Amino acid sequence: MKLAILLSQVRLEEKLIFAAVERAGIELERVFDKELILDLDKPKFPSADLVLDRGLVHSRAEYTLRFLRDIGIPTINSYEATTICDNKFLTTIVLRKAGIPTLKTMIAYTPRSALEAIEQIGYPAVLKPPVGSWGRLLAKINDREAAEAVLEHKEILGSYHHSIFYIQEYIPKKGGDIRAFVVGDRVVGASLRSSEHWITNVARGASTAPCTVTPEMEEIALQSAAAVNGEILGVDLVETEDGLKVIEINTGAEFKGLVDATGVDVPGAIVEHVKRRCAQLVA
Amino acid sequence: MAIGILYSRVRVEEKLLFDDLERRGVPFGRIDDREVVFELGSNPFPYDVVLERCINHSRAVYALKLLEDAGITTVNTYRVAETCGNKILTSSALSRVGVPQPRTLVAFTPESALEAIEQIGYPAVLKPAVGSWGRLLSLVSDRYAAEAILEHKEILGSYHHSIFYIQEYVPKPGRDIRSFVVGDECICAIYRYSEHWITNTARGARAENCPVTDEIAEISLAAARAVGGGVVAVDILESERGPLVNEVNYTMEFRNSIDTTGVNIPGKIVDYALSLRPVSLTAAEHGG
Repeated sequence: MKLAILLSQVRLEEKLIFAAVERAGIELERVFDKELILDLDKPKFPSADLVLDRGLVHSRAEYTLRFLRDIGIPTINSYEATTICDNKFLTTIVLRKAGIPTLKTMIAYTPRSALEAIEQIGYPAVLKPPVGSWGRLLAKINDREAAEAVLEHKEILGSYHHSIFYIQEYIPKKGGDIRAFVVGDRVVGASLRSSEHWITNVARGASTAPCTVTPEMEEIALQSAAAVNGEILGVDLVETEDGLKVIEINTGAEFKGLVDATGVDVPGAIVEHVKRRCAQLVA
Repeated sequence: MAIGILYSRVRVEEKLLFDDLERRGVPFGRIDDREVVFELGSNPFPYDVVLERCINHSRAVYALKLLEDAGITTVNTYRVAETCGNKILTSSALSRVGVPQPRTLVAFTPESALEAIEQIGYPAVLKPAVGSWGRLLSLVSDRYAAEAILEHKEILGSYHHSIFYIQEYVPKPGRDIRSFVVGDECICAIYRYSEHWITNTARGARAENCPVTDEIAEISLAAARAVGGGVVAVDILESERGPLVNEVNYTMEFRNSIDTTGVNIPGKIVDYALSLRPVSLTAAEHGG
């Protein structure tokens, strides 16, 4: 069998996956999105039985996964899961429909209606770009002056996409939030991400600590993965007074923090899953 | 003597200026900044004085520079437009001659800007160095707002939005003052009332006549002189430590201030333009 990995750049996570793939004796093709040309008249891709997406650029990954789906090459994650998870609004809708607890969320399309939505949710509220990563442009809005200023900056300085306003209730995080790492049909590990800052992204300097995977955590993470039809996912959870709720789901998630904190062999688990999928394909 | 009016769009203000010139029978022409082409080294304009009424700051400053270098007298001058179009340059010009203004800090990165905001203390005000009509003014109440707004400027804005102009917040008694200076005279002033902390008539503030006291005249003329004189509108905050100059505008709108003050603002502007000695005549005298 031959595995292709779709890449934007090679981070530590990708190096760990390469090593695990080699250890498993699987033939590996590295495909960089910056070099790809998808010819719609030629159903060809660097020959592979299965493609693992580790791309960093949402739009590149999404188009490539769609192309692969339509020419019949299976991918991890699926095009469907990736498009849902890349967009916080789609993620919330899908999770809601599946009855999975999420945070109170509103969408609005103009600064005026967004201000009204923020006031309905009440202060503090959180504004997030529907598409975006690494905690960038998250805004905790504590009063009307902040709401007006941030909304105006998005409208005037941002492209059109920044005028789709995703507004959420603010949940004080008790000690941090949880990243549960789903591979296939199990949660291979979880970490607690905490920070002095309200944004608990490792990319923004949050620290990670091991977190025991409780049955409740496993259940909600696997339900979330099933709801978005994903296979390898980082599910971000927050503990609230009403129990665990899902904040967002990441495809192509970083897992270095989890490996460091827990010693769980995440790349090994990913490669095991890839092997299982290949075996299914052959069968 | 012929007057040219350089404009972007004929707003109420430009219409009033045209009407005034027509009434007086002063020969004048219109220069539309959407159509004008400047050829360096030549002066195709048959005007002694050009009155600049552009909406776009970049067009205004380049046009004024080109006209000045072509030997045409302009209202306002290039120097005034360049200074007033940029809050950092304005504040620097004011502080140089000791005109009272809110405490102001300038920083060039989000990190140093955050430190500057914390030095000023909350609430602080963040303003784009270049901008009008109260756009993108931010009242920053806490560190969360500061971080979010600075990040939005840095990531979404062009490079210019990462030049941070930070001011203390001066609590207003529900209003501020806009005074109009033409040459050596503070011709009138209005109060601008607003429920919102931004008291801009373009954002719905209500205008009322403000008597020009000696104090207002004095600070207005000092501010006008500091930026280079001419025709300017001075925004003044009434603070516990006396009047503070908030900004100086070089191509101000005035439609809401004529009836309010009873002063013929366009007439005063035209008087001023006609009083200027055209550069060409001066040069001819010196040369001849």
